[in-house]
Amino acid sequence: MKARRVKKLDPGAPLAEIAARIVKVRLDELRSFAPRAIDKHKVKAQHDMRIAAKRLRYVLEATEFCFGRPGETARRRARDLQDVLGELRDCEVMLPRVREHLEELREQDADAIRARAGDAPDLDPRLVAQAPHRTAYRGLDSLAVYIEARRKLLFDRFCELWRQQEEKGTWDRLERAAERHLARARERRRAARRAERAREKLADAEGDEQHAVERARHARRPS
Amino acid sequence: MAKAREIHGLSADGSYAAAAARIVAVRAQELVDHSAGVLDTGDIERVHDMRVATRRLRAALEVFEPCFPGKRLAEDLGDVKSLADALGERRDRDVAIAALEELGATMAAPDRPGIDSLIDRLRAEQLRANEELAGLVAADRLEALRERLGDLVAEAWALAPEESPPSEAARSNGSGS
Repeated sequence: MKARRVKKLDPGAPLAEIAARIVKVRLDELRSFAPRAIDKHKVKAQHDMRIAAKRLRYVLEATEFCFGRPGETARRRARDLQDVLGELRDCEVMLPRVREHLEELREQDADAIRARAGDAPDLDPRLVAQAPHRTAYRGLDSLAVYIEARRKLLFDRFCELWRQQEEKGTWDRLERAAERHLARARERRRAARRAERAREKLADAEGDEQHAVERARHARRPS
Repeated sequence: MAKAREIHGLSADGSYAAAAARIVAVRAQELVDHSAGVLDTGDIERVHDMRVATRRLRAALEVFEPCFPGKRLAEDLGDVKSLADALGERRDRDVAIAALEELGATMAAPDRPGIDSLIDRLRAEQLRANEELAGLVAADRLEALRERLGDLVAEAWALAPEESPPSEAARSNGSGS
């Protein structure tokens, strides 16, 4: 998932203002995945949301002091989300691997039994008891069931964590803290523009005064 | 997991570029510091710590991207990403093996051969991942990366003329302020 681009990142601007811009975009990104991610079938959205939580967490690791308590709390909760979604992802990756491994062992066993049958016109059922990996099937089947059940449990934990944070206003408070920095930055820019205009007016007035003095001096000079 | 080293001298009113320089300098050093013993499969926390250090460095380079020259940043970020990927491949196997060993110990005896067969397969993959990683964590290679990142840090300081880089003494004792 490609990160959404953040605009107006001026290296000379105050860190708090830039951090606020980045945090707002990363937070928006995180929240945009939630409606799909809380559907258990939307595995891709859960994966994208984990990446979004990771990005928000790492921005906050560097800049949370700009946002006070809301920054620290949001960073911790983003880490919790990243953790639970990471474990969910591990289950998604591990489950097909277990099934694939089991399938390979079965294939190898079938080949081994076939080889033992040699030129026999039909397969002796007793040969199945000699399958080299036959004792591994049960454990791998149990493991697949365990992973599937754990995946369900982790998904429920993720939904509950997300619901709790929405309820507690974790993300809203961070957003408001970011907004305050952006409002201050806008006010600073307005004040700078007012100061610039005042300087220009003063320079104009000083120029006019200088001209007036020059004209008066010319006027006083005897012709 | 290793806690991120504190960055001294950061201020909300200081410039974005100065923060970039301070943070990337510390994160680059952290990466090198966590490389010791990383190929030891008997202590899987070392790979984890270095992987986290890599993630933090990569995140810092991405967060502060506009403070660095684009082409050189892209090259260094590419190297950090390759390192992160190789560490990730090793770490995935480390974690899976540890989890299966723990799970296997709680399972009934007839279930264990299946778990053990999967662990054997993962161990072979872990060795291959370690071989891939070995080339990327050689001391001279990491030192070269750290030096290049040091050049990026200097470029960021140049964009923050109102602030000055920490002295060499402050950098070496980690205060960086």
